[in-house]
Amino acid sequence: MINIAHLTHAHRQAPWRIQRQWAGAFLLGALALAMVSALYLDVTSQAAILGREIQLLQGEIADIRYANANLQTKLAELSSANNMNARALALGYRPAEAGEIHYLVTPGYARPSAVTLAVSNPPAGAPSTPPEYTQSLLDWVVSYLQSPASGMAAGVIP
Amino acid sequence: MRREYAWRSVFVAGLLAFFAALVLAQIVRIQVSPEAAKFNEQADDYAMVKRTFYPERGQIYDRKGRLLAGNEAVYTVGVNIPEMADAEALAREVSAQLGLDYDETYQKLLNPGGLYFVALANYVEADRVDALKAKRDDMEKEAAANYHASPLSGLDFQPALQRSYPENDLASNILGFYNRDKRGIFGVEEKYNDLLAGTPVQAWVPQDPNRAAEIPHVPDGASLILTVDRDLQAAAERSLDKALLDYGAQNGSIIVMDPRNGDILAMAATPRLNLNEFWNYGNYYSRAYEYNPAIAMQYEPGSVFKIFTMAAALDIGLVAPNTPFHDSGIIYVGGAPIQNWDRRPWGDQDMIGCLRYSLNVCMAWLSTNMGKDVFYDYMQRFSIGRATGIDLAGETPGRLKVPGDADWYPVDLGTNAFGQGVAVSPIQMMMAASAIANDGRMVKPHVLYALVNEGRQVNINLDPAGAPIRPETARVLSEMLAVSLEHEASLALVPGYRVAGKTGTAEIPADGYYDSSQTNVSFIGWGPVDDPQFMIYVWLDRPSASIWANDTAAPLFSAMAQQTVILLDIPPDSIRLQIAGH
Repeated sequence: MINIAHLTHAHRQAPWRIQRQWAGAFLLGALALAMVSALYLDVTSQAAILGREIQLLQGEIADIRYANANLQTKLAELSSANNMNARALALGYRPAEAGEIHYLVTPGYARPSAVTLAVSNPPAGAPSTPPEYTQSLLDWVVSYLQSPASGMAAGVIP
Repeated sequence: MRREYAWRSVFVAGLLAFFAALVLAQIVRIQVSPEAAKFNEQADDYAMVKRTFYPERGQIYDRKGRLLAGNEAVYTVGVNIPEMADAEALAREVSAQLGLDYDETYQKLLNPGGLYFVALANYVEADRVDALKAKRDDMEKEAAANYHASPLSGLDFQPALQRSYPENDLASNILGFYNRDKRGIFGVEEKYNDLLAGTPVQAWVPQDPNRAAEIPHVPDGASLILTVDRDLQAAAERSLDKALLDYGAQNGSIIVMDPRNGDILAMAATPRLNLNEFWNYGNYYSRAYEYNPAIAMQYEPGSVFKIFTMAAALDIGLVAPNTPFHDSGIIYVGGAPIQNWDRRPWGDQDMIGCLRYSLNVCMAWLSTNMGKDVFYDYMQRFSIGRATGIDLAGETPGRLKVPGDADWYPVDLGTNAFGQGVAVSPIQMMMAASAIANDGRMVKPHVLYALVNEGRQVNINLDPAGAPIRPETARVLSEMLAVSLEHEASLALVPGYRVAGKTGTAEIPADGYYDSSQTNVSFIGWGPVDDPQFMIYVWLDRPSASIWANDTAAPLFSAMAQQTVILLDIPPDSIRLQIAGH
């Protein structure tokens, strides 16, 4: 009997080893949680920074549109009929009269038709952002749990 | 000893776990507390802002892509009251830079009336704002260096777009204007207001940067390309202004149209408003129709109208160009005598002579021989008395009395034949005459060439507005009109180009009588006769140099036609025929 008890005792792990295993497992879990939290915080903060940049860029787009509208109008003013006429006269030009115009027959010449203001690549609509870029982790968990595929939507019994 | 350490460890771990549980419990308590709902509501209030997005108003171009109406940035200069540090300095600087009254500005800042933002000046141009912005930025830098608030802190500039017309008064009667109540008034601005304005979008905009992409995309209003040629328009306006001076006329109008498709190439009128100062409207016009008389004014056309009577007579085969007519100088219609413009007989004539000498008696003879049913049927086919449907706001339909109307009398059949007792607008005359220039097909006058929306251009093609006469009739009448101009060596002739046309001198009715000393004069013509590429209508109101269209409207037509052929690159007939022979 003594021998059997001795053998059993010899094969049991030392208490300090068990404690270490528990502590190790706990620390591993804590580390994993910290890593996920850090990753989540990093992604969230980056998304927020990018979102803020988008907001700033939208403001810049508005400013550029205003500046563009101003420049376009300014250019049109500078090249208006009255201004061009005055500048031509100042440079010593005058309107041609019928008898002063010489016409040449140019084979293949086609008189230009009215202007085309269409652009070759019309602006595409705003791209839709996938939910992965806008959802928080919690949102994702909730939406996952509520989706029918998860089998845990309200009223569904597994 | 080991046992003691173990207890200590358990105690510390338990303590930490207890505090952690406390923190968690507190988190849960805060989340479910009654205040949480209130905080959530407050957060929701700030999370979304309701905003109305106004699209940028579409631009307007001429047929060669030159800007006629665009937009420019203007600013509302104001102060964010919570950020204001020095009301006196703000009032001093803003009033000095923008020319405002200092006391009034200062009082506005001292008594904001609960407003967060107090506007001090609206519609301030970018260059004036730039100076103020530079001053604010300099003072902010200086203040930051000295660790105190800038005296101009709180000064803010809120941008907006305002309509701008780089050509000022050019084509003002066609364009109309866009006022500060965001409404298009007159012309293209009114007719196409909905297209130009686009669709404003009201949306809740998230303040959360993570949802920045949810800000709605609001497409700009559609831009318009007009059929108008800016240079031809400028030439028409210069010619008209000169004619008013030369002939002492009170007002006038010139329309240049492509008779093949109804494109309005130019439409000049007087007086013209500088569209960048549209608030001066009342100084120029007392009645709405004065803004664009080319479409909105109705008047008796006089002898120009004879071409439609002749067209009807030729079309039914009542007469041919060489049909003889003996003019006795008077004809009775409905018991009333009708005489020629000079009240004398012109003896033996043919139909070309009737047009050449503009004989009222001959025209009344034609209409009475046609009979009222046929005559008025043709006038309605020419759309006389109906609006053309031109795409400009404010068109008048004119008036054609027909048998059965309470105010129609049998004598009207005679007088209508030479353009009395009928009310038309210049644009109606153009549309009706286009049938004669265009092989019998009448075109609908229009100013819109194309729409440009989201980068895509849609060109507008219109179907003919009808065919009131046969192609042979149109060609014969066109030739008769050309010959009659050549025989009388009219001042309307254009060197190098064969043109067809007709003068019109109409006495102006007043108090039920015609005043022979006051006339409106007009000329409608087109060319080259064998391949019409332009049609011009000129109209002058009460010329004092001469009451006759031959002396006033005819030379104005010629001057305008000579500029038109140059600006539209139409070579003289001899060269054109030479090119066609190649």
